Parts: sequence; structure tokens; C-alpha cells
Amino acid sequence: MSMLSVRGVTKRFGGVTAVDDVSFEVFEGTIHAVIGPNGAGKSTAFNVMTGFDRPDAGSVVFEGATITGMRPHRIVRLGVVRTFQNTMLFDEMTALENVLVGMHARTRVGFLGAALSLPGVHAEERLAREQAHRILRLVDMDDVHAVPAGDLPHGQRRLLEIARALATEPRIMLLDEPAAGLNNVETAQLGETLRRIRDTGVTVVIVEHDMGLVMEVSDEIVVLNEGRKIAEGPPLLIQKDPAVIEAYLGEETPDA
Amino acid sequence: MRSSIRAAVIVALTIGVAITPFVMTDRYILRILTFVGINLIMVAGLSLLFGYAGQISLGQAAFYGLGAYTSGYLAKAGVPWLLALVGGVAVAAIGGLLIALPSLRLKGHYLAMATLGFGEIMLFFFTETESVTGGSNGLRGIPAASIGPLEFATPVAKYFLVWSVVGIVLVLAANIVRRRPGRALRAIHGSETGAQACGIDTVRVKIQVFVLSAGLGGLAGVLYAHYVGFVSPSTFTLHYSLILVTMVALGGMGSLGGAVAGTVLLTLLPYVDAIIPGLPRSTVELIQDWTNDIYGMVLILVMLFMPRGLAGWATSLVTRFGERDRAGDSVGQGGGA
Ligand SMILES: Nc1ncnc2c1ncn2[C@@H]1O[C@H](COP(=O)(O)OP(=O)(O)OP(=O)(O)O)[C@@H](O)[C@H]1O
Ligand SMILES: [Mg+2]
Repeated sequence: MSMLSVRGVTKRFGGVTAVDDVSFEVFEGTIHAVIGPNGAGKSTAFNVMTGFDRPDAGSVVFEGATITGMRPHRIVRLGVVRTFQNTMLFDEMTALENVLVGMHARTRVGFLGAALSLPGVHAEERLAREQAHRILRLVDMDDVHAVPAGDLPHGQRRLLEIARALATEPRIMLLDEPAAGLNNVETAQLGETLRRIRDTGVTVVIVEHDMGLVMEVSDEIVVLNEGRKIAEGPPLLIQKDPAVIEAYLGEETPDA
Repeated sequence: MRSSIRAAVIVALTIGVAITPFVMTDRYILRILTFVGINLIMVAGLSLLFGYAGQISLGQAAFYGLGAYTSGYLAKAGVPWLLALVGGVAVAAIGGLLIALPSLRLKGHYLAMATLGFGEIMLFFFTETESVTGGSNGLRGIPAASIGPLEFATPVAKYFLVWSVVGIVLVLAANIVRRRPGRALRAIHGSETGAQACGIDTVRVKIQVFVLSAGLGGLAGVLYAHYVGFVSPSTFTLHYSLILVTMVALGGMGSLGGAVAGTVLLTLLPYVDAIIPGLPRSTVELIQDWTNDIYGMVLILVMLFMPRGLAGWATSLVTRFGERDRAGDSVGQGGGA
């Protein structure tokens, strides 16, 4: 059985049908790519899958439970986390604090407990900080733990958002263009990081324009164009698919 | 490095607050300092709401009024002070909940408008329900605070009562901001979408902090009512709400220590003559005549040129000294309190 299934999802904005009756399945332990030209509806599909948009039709099912209509924070608590095409970091907070916020749903201390320093508050805080440092080391960023996110270079901001998402202890991660703005070296490292994440048992879905990265890391690819699913399959088949090549014509070739 | 400077400042201030009534026999100054304390309790709540979570409220004076009137009314009816206090805080907090539920789904200007409207409605209510509030004449003869046989009747006793509460409130608030709930507040300020993506129920947290700030406003109102023994609508105006916002902004968003500094400075401003005795008469008159304009100017200037307020300025000073001492030893304390 699939881990996450998108079933006949349609999302309209006024006259524009951003996502048009799209269905696909994501299987546990895989890296699944969603590709397509600009405006194909990839980000909108992610928004629907993570509760940031409500679909006009269709549903999203995660491990047997329908999550459409749930608010984003509830979906995160179930184990579905995402990053954004335009990073949504907390710029005034340090890298470490950003990751600590990612642990919000996995920790307990509330206003009263924190205010009164009830028993357990210190222990939880210390454990959370240790864990946050460990996650930062995973993406090679522990040396900048005290730097405000707003002062980090672009590549590290992308990584930090992934680290923050990992901190929620997800079962599945949806990454919206994680390689956007990265140089070749950084993109290669990102590919490594994605595989490492998958190997720790977290399923990965990426929206990505960098075809080199997509073809290298993904097990399965879904291609959207103008809101519709036009192809789906393993990288080698997608590269040769005439409908895909047609969709990308005049923009970029999928095997670029 | 930074945390040791902070600790030293806190210890010095605490000692200063504790010995002031013994070295300062001037009743007038003690009275001013008690008002500083009451404002600090107001601002502690607003700092969490506005300074940390970035949610503006232009209606804090209304919660101050709810606390003051409720507790004053109850105490006059013979209710023991501690119970009247609980009643005042509860009514203010419930008022906060009622306004938070519909309006915290609103953003930015809409929240400002909603809280402003609430403040004006409450002001109307304080003025018009004469049988309860005494109307524009106010509620007179409110008894001094007392706990059992212990009565806070003298200026020194009142001073210590208010400042004990200030101490407690600031410690609790500082505990909040450096832990998980404080990070959630700052996250909401930084990016509400990002906060949701981290599993934070942003609506719930915003309601919690709004109710908390309303309750603290109510607490300050209770202390005020039993301090002056008299409350009237003219205290609970939009004007006061705006001054509170200015205090937080001057101190610096996301800094409790900054908010404290901003509150002390702006509360003392109209009383410069009492605080700095040698000041020329003309200067004092200038400041007193223009106090409200100065508040307005401070708010505008801070927003334009000092977005991080006094706290940002202090941090950059300390960092500069710290770097000279030992380079690269950045303390990941967080909270920025
Ligand atoms: N909030 C919105 N309101 C109106 N139209 C929207 C909104 N979000 C997306 N759209 C439209 O929906 C379509 C799909 O947009 P979407 O952002 O999902 O595309 P995308 O595949 O992520 O593109 P890109 O590769 O450029 O990120 C576009 O035509 C876009 O203009
Ligand atoms: Mg997109």
C-alpha cells in the first residue's frame, strides 16, 4: 500500500485551474519527484498535500487517513512536513533556534510550565538542544548554530529549512525546489543529503527544476503540465517520454 | 560573556529597587516609581504579545480598566483583596479571550483596528454604566490592598507590593521567552506560514498570548486601583494604549529587557524635574509641555531608524566589547531577553 496518495485533486484560482484532477501514489522509503514547467501546478499540489490550500475536488490520504481539510500543523504532527519554494525561515532567530522550533510538536512545555520552571522543563530543554545540534551536524551546519537565519548565505538557508523540517521527525518530507539558487557543488551535496535522509527511513517528495538532480536521486517521477498529470514512471522512461519532451519544448530539455 | 553582563545588570537593578525606599524619603519620587512598576507589568504582557509574537494591540488600556474596575468594585463590596485581584485578572483575561477569538484570525491592520475598537467600546462602557463604574465621576474610596491582617496602606508598603509583583512577573515572562513557548511566539512573528509548517497551532498560541497579556493588563489595573484608591475612565484611553506600544517599540521587538528600559525611560519622562534635580526650569517645561509629542516622535523615529530599539543598540555595544575581549565566543543563549 502506498504511504501517501493524491486522489483526483483539483484546485482552481478564479479562472485558473492550477491542479486538474491529479492522482499519484508515493511509496514508503522512496524519493519521488514532481516535475513540470513553470506554472504547472507543482507548488499548488504541495500546498494541497500539506493543508495550506483546500482542494476544490479530490482528497489526499496519508497512511490510510484522509488529511484534506486538516490544518497544516495537524498534518505536520501526523508526520507530513514540507519546505517552501521561497524559504520560510525565522530570520531573527539563530539556526539552532530555527531547528528548535521545528521540534515544537515533539516537545511539551507550555506557557505555565515554562513560566514556573516546573520539573522536567530543564531536562526537556537540554534534550531538545542536544537533538537540535545533532540535526545541524547532519546538514553540516553546527558551526553556524548561533548565527541568525537571516544572516546565512542562500545555500545554508535552504539546508536549514530542511534541517528544521527534519526536526519535526517526519515520516515523509515534501521539498519545494530545494536546489533553487544552489551552485553545482551545493547541488551535489544536496543530492547526498537527500539520499541520507531517505536512508534514515524518511520518504522524500521533491519538486525540482534541476533535471540532473531529479534524474540522479529519484526512484519515481510524476510530470505535471498546466495542472494535469501527463506522465509518470522511473527516470529513464520519463526522459524518453514524448509528452514530457513536448511539454518542456521551448523551455529546457528534461535531460539537460 | 553577554549572559554574565546581563546577570550583573539584573542583580544591580534588584538591589537598587529594594533599597530605594530607604534612601529616598521623597514620597513623590516613590509614587512615580510605583507607577513605573505598574507600567512594567502592563508592558511585560504587551512585550510578549507585540514584542515577541508581533501581534499589535491598541486596546491594552481596556484590560487595565477591566482589572481596575472589577477589583475596585469587588473590594468596595467587601470582597477580600486577594479574591478581588483574582476577579480583576479573570475578567480582563476573559475579555481578552472574547476579543481574541474572532480577531486573531485577522492580520496586521485588522487586528490593530479590532483592538482599537474594543478599547473604545470599553471606554464607553466604563463611562456609561454609572451604577457599576461611577460613570465619568469614577469609582471612589477603593480600599488599599491587604492580605489578611497585612495591609499595604503606606507609600512604602505599596511600593514594595507593586515591585514584588513586578519581580515575579518579569521572572515568569523571562522564563517563557527563553523556552519553547517563547520560541513559538518569535516564530509566529518571523513567519506565520513557517510556524505552521513546524507544527505550531498558530491560532491557539496567538490566543494564549493575547489572553496572557490581557490578564497581565488586568493585574496591573488591580494594583493601580488599590494604589490610588480611585479609578475614572480618563485613565483607560487609547492614548495610554499607544504609550505602551511605544514603550515596547523603543525597547526593541523581541526583548524583555529592552521593554523594561523603554518603560522606565518613557514613564519617567514627564517627571524629569523630580528625577534629575539640577535641570534648568526651561528644559523641564519644554519636556513637560511636549511630552505627548515626544512620545509620538519616539515611536516614529524608532520605527524609521532604530527598528531593534534600545535592545539592539545595547547588544551591538556589548558585542563590540565582547569581540575585543575574546573573539568568536558567541553565547547561544537565545531568547534575547
Ligand atoms: N494563490 C494563488 N492565487 C491565484 N493563482 C495562483 C495561486 N497560486 C498559484 N496560482 C496559479 O496557479 C498556477 C500554478 O502555480 P504553481 O505555483 O502551483 O506552479 P508551479 O508548478 O509551482 O510553478 P513554478 O515552477 O514556477 O514554481 C499558476 O498559473 C499560478 O499563477
Ligand atoms: Mg512552485
